Formats: sequence, C-alpha cells, structure tokens
Amino acid sequence: MTNCLKNPYAFIDADVMKVVDESSNIKTFTLKPRESISFRAGQFMEVTLPGIGEAPFTPSSNHNSAKTLDFTIMSAGRVTKLLHQAKTGDVIGLRGPYGTQYPLDKFKQREVFIVGGGVGLAPLRALLYALFNEVGDYKKIILRYGARTSGDIIYKNEIDSWKARAGHIDIKVTCDVGDPSWNGNVGLVTTILKTEKLDIDNAVAIVCGPPIMMKFATFKLLDLGFKEGQIYLSMEKNMSCGIGKCGHCRIGPYYACKDGPVFSYDKIKELPNIWD
Amino acid sequence: MTNNLYTIIKKDLFDLLGRLAADNRIVVPYVKGEKLYFDDFDPKKEDKIELGGIRQSQALKSFISHAREKVTGNLKSKRPLVIAGVKGCDLSSLYLQDFVFQGGDVEDPFYSDNRKNTTIIAVDCTYAKETCFCAAMEGAPYPKKFFDISLSPIDNYFLAEAGSSKGQKIVDNFRSFFKSPSSRAVDIRQALRDRVLKQVQGFIDKRGTPDTTRVKGVVRKNYDQTEFWRDMASTCVECGACNLACPTCHCFILSDEKDASGAKRFRSWDACLYNTFARVAGNNNPRKHLYERLRNRFDKKFEFFPEVLNYVACTGCGRCIEACPGNIDIREVLKGLVSGKWSKPPHD
Repeated sequence: MTNCLKNPYAFIDADVMKVVDESSNIKTFTLKPRESISFRAGQFMEVTLPGIGEAPFTPSSNHNSAKTLDFTIMSAGRVTKLLHQAKTGDVIGLRGPYGTQYPLDKFKQREVFIVGGGVGLAPLRALLYALFNEVGDYKKIILRYGARTSGDIIYKNEIDSWKARAGHIDIKVTCDVGDPSWNGNVGLVTTILKTEKLDIDNAVAIVCGPPIMMKFATFKLLDLGFKEGQIYLSMEKNMSCGIGKCGHCRIGPYYACKDGPVFSYDKIKELPNIWD
Repeated sequence: MTNNLYTIIKKDLFDLLGRLAADNRIVVPYVKGEKLYFDDFDPKKEDKIELGGIRQSQALKSFISHAREKVTGNLKSKRPLVIAGVKGCDLSSLYLQDFVFQGGDVEDPFYSDNRKNTTIIAVDCTYAKETCFCAAMEGAPYPKKFFDISLSPIDNYFLAEAGSSKGQKIVDNFRSFFKSPSSRAVDIRQALRDRVLKQVQGFIDKRGTPDTTRVKGVVRKNYDQTEFWRDMASTCVECGACNLACPTCHCFILSDEKDASGAKRFRSWDACLYNTFARVAGNNNPRKHLYERLRNRFDKKFEFFPEVLNYVACTGCGRCIEACPGNIDIREVLKGLVSGKWSKPPHD
C-alpha cells in the first residue's frame, strides 16, 4: 500500500549551482531545488547528504527569490565536513522549511538593530535581504557584526555593497582579535553596540551567533535600554526532525524547530540553560 | 448489563487468535523465568502464554513506533498486528505517543499506519510487583481506555469488553466464540480489579512513592539543586536503558545509510541520557554533564508534558527501575524531590 500522506522525513533533490569560499572554514552553497521551495527569513531547513546524514541551516539568501537558495555553512562536524566537499554539479537534499520566521510585520516603521556573530550572520543576511525588499517600510537598519579575526568575516564584498546603500543602513564590523590587515574595531561585538541616535523605544533587535555571544549581546542590549520583548534571538539547537517529534531541540516547554528558532527573549528568559 | 460485554473461554480465545493469524501478525506474552515477554503467537507453546500477570518487559511502543524503522520513500504497510495481553500502564502511554507522532502540524505517516494497523487486546493485571506504581501516576492495573478489546480473567474464562468499533467488529465477526455474561462476572471483574489496585497501592504506600499531585512542579523547583542531581546520577552508566524501556519515552534519531540499492533513512529510538543527544556541531553541548542529562529526563516527564499535554509522562510501569544497572529508582528520585531528603542510589 502506498499512502498519499506526505513523508515528512523525505528530502527533495537540489543541484549545487555555486560554491563560494567565505573563510578558511565557511562556504556558501547556492542550491537549486528540483521542486519549488518557499521559505521566510529566519526559518531553517535540513540539508541532506543522501545516505550520509543531514544538519539544520537557515537559508542566507533572499526569500523573495527562492528558485535558488544560499546556505552558508561552517565546517564544524561530521556532516558539515563532508558538505564542504560538495562541488558545483553535485546533488544534495533539502527538507523543510521549518519553524518560525522573523516577524517582519512587527519590525515595520521601526529601527531594526541587527547583531551578528561569526557564521551567525548567515540567517541575518536573509533578514537583511528581506528588509531591503521593502526598505522604505523600516525607519533604519543597523548591523553590528563581530568575527573572531578579519579572516573569519563572511560576505566581505557584500558588506561593502550593503554599506553603499544610501542612507538606510548603518554597519559596523569588529574583530575579537586584531591583525595587521584589519583597520577596524578590535573587541567583542558587545563593544560596538552602543549607538548614537538610536531610538530604542521604537526599535527591535535581532541577535544571531554562538550561544556565548548571544548571551552577552542580549545582556548588553538590555543594558542599553531594549525591553525583553524587543529582542529576537535565533535559538539554534540540535534540530533534527524539524516537526517537533524527535525531542532533540527542546528548550523548556518549546521545541526550537517548531516554536522557534526565532524567539523573542521575553518568551524564553525564564527557562533554564537557554545559553548553553 | 452493558451490551459490549461478553464472555469467552480460553480455548476459544486461542482459536480466535489462530483464526486472526490468517490476516494478522499475532503477538502474545510468554512466561520466561520471572518475567513476561511479547513474542509471536505459537499455538504449540500455549502453556507458556500468560495473558494476565503484569506488564511485559517490552513496552508497547516496541510494536508501534518500533525501535528502528525505515522512513524512506513511500509508506509500505506492515502485516496488521494483533497484540494481546497489553496492560493498563502501556495503554496509558498511547495518549502521549499518539500526541507526539500524530499531533501537531505534521503527522508521522509511518507511525500512523502502524497504529491504525494494530489491534490491542488488553488484559487486566492479575497481580502487581513491587516496582509497580501506576496508581500513583493516575493509572490503574486494568484497561481504562485505548483498547479494542479488554479481557478480565474470571474463573476459567474471560470477561471481554469491546472498547472500539474495531474491537466490536472482531466480536461480531467471530460471534460464536463470545457468549453473554452473567452479572456475577462483572462483580468478579470488579473484585479482581479492586484486589490488584489495592496491592499496587500497598507497594506505593510502603515506599512512600509520591503521587502526581505531589510531584507537580518539583523538578523545576529543584532544578538548581545540583548536588541532588549529581547524587542521583552518581551510579548512572549512560546506557539509556531507562529511555528505551520506558513506554512514554518517544525521542528518536534520524540516521542515513547507503547501500547498493541507494540511500535510506531510519527513525530509531534515541536516549536523552546519551552524551550525543543534544550535542551540536563544534562539540557544543547544552547538557555536558551526566547529571544534567538525568535531570532532563525528569524535566521532560514531569514538567514538559504536564505543561504541553496536561499529562505526567510516567505510567508507573517500573520498567526503568528494573532496567537500570545503576539502581537508579524513579520513585526514589521523586521522593527526594518532594521531601528534600535523599541518598545516593545503592551499589549492588
């Protein structure tokens, strides 16, 4: 017997169209799914190496042009190490999208303050493109990005082109550790969050990065006067099934795959061990 | 007399199972040593079959979510299953398993197909063992719901009750095996149920096992009592037996394999006691320490499910107590949480 119910564990084939080296251990893969996929910025997908395994990533490209999707992936584990060997013309799998999107409606007519750390800029790139789609709807777009060293900065060329967007976006980049090739700020991302002329009462903050960075960036934002409900976090846990069944990504009463990965801080602040 | 009650003698019951075997896989409990195990029905081993008794060593989930199931490609139904001898503590777990696999926005079609193709013949417990505490967890040692047919041993026959249209259909299709009961049979069933319930309650009282009303909120309240959790985990060897033996533990891992016929994906039971359970790439682990993983098991059962489903995810079956090589006793953990007094699990 076959069943018309959709198999939620099945992936669809996607062709690797392009691979860009972002840093020594981060690559951006442009994938063209063979069936149409529609996602919203902030949602994630499972990227599958058929017969080998899968791992969750948030697309980093514009959700308005989903014929191809970009995934910016750091080589950090078994699957990502093998994913990094993928070349143009290879076929890999995609499953999803899953979870919550950035609530763009709530960002409208506000100043959007985006804080990224390391490869955590990937989902924020999708957010930036989503904001650029309707750039007039947002009062201001501010990006604060921290990488470990200048060599770890991803989307280097794009960041320059974003800077060139007239008037609307204010970008600062910092490196945790300085080096002779880096003329910018040296220090953690928390050192560049204080911003002149920021109308905090009328702003939202979006944070994505390693857990420790998210923790201290959130605390700094609270210090600066942001309210808990104004801060949105991308809680990336061990999302596996993507549909709230396998149990791996639980945060208190929530599953990051289904109730997240985008949570406002007030929703999760009382839960134990959220930063671990 | 309710019209869905019948009697069936043991010989006819086995004949019925034999007839059902034409279209179904039949699984029944067998006595092995002091325990009961589910296995395929073999009329030649009838003398070893014990439909009553207590819960079997395998949880019911072994036959529905399955320890490992291929989830690649189109759904291919298995041979329909009739499982006889299922006990109250396992029936109760179906509420949670169905919620997980069939609830939410997306259904697991493999689980649903297995569930749909399973007929459950539940049987009253005819005694309790020391590790039984269903009555403290809102359960009972007899079928209350989620069964297709229930059987209660009465003298030399069973009092049968159809609990679903599927169960009623079996009765109707094999009507000659089923007779009308006397009111005496219903009284005897009640007396059996009262007797075994009293036995379970006796074990609960003797140990001082807290019931769900006293357990409410105690894990979150004691979340930061690191010393308590460390002591409870002091003999844990991370084998995951408590998870795998548990009728309500539902967590699974998806894994991919490849052979000559192509790529395959499997859904297999996972265990939150394993170090790898919550670990993410780059070796980040939100639950690095063993005590955190043990605590997570209790948090999931006694905080998460009460919050999202109004259901305490323990049926009091006692399998984890029996399975644990470190003598970690869920009842003692709950007692410690409620009373604030505890001692480490004993070494053998």
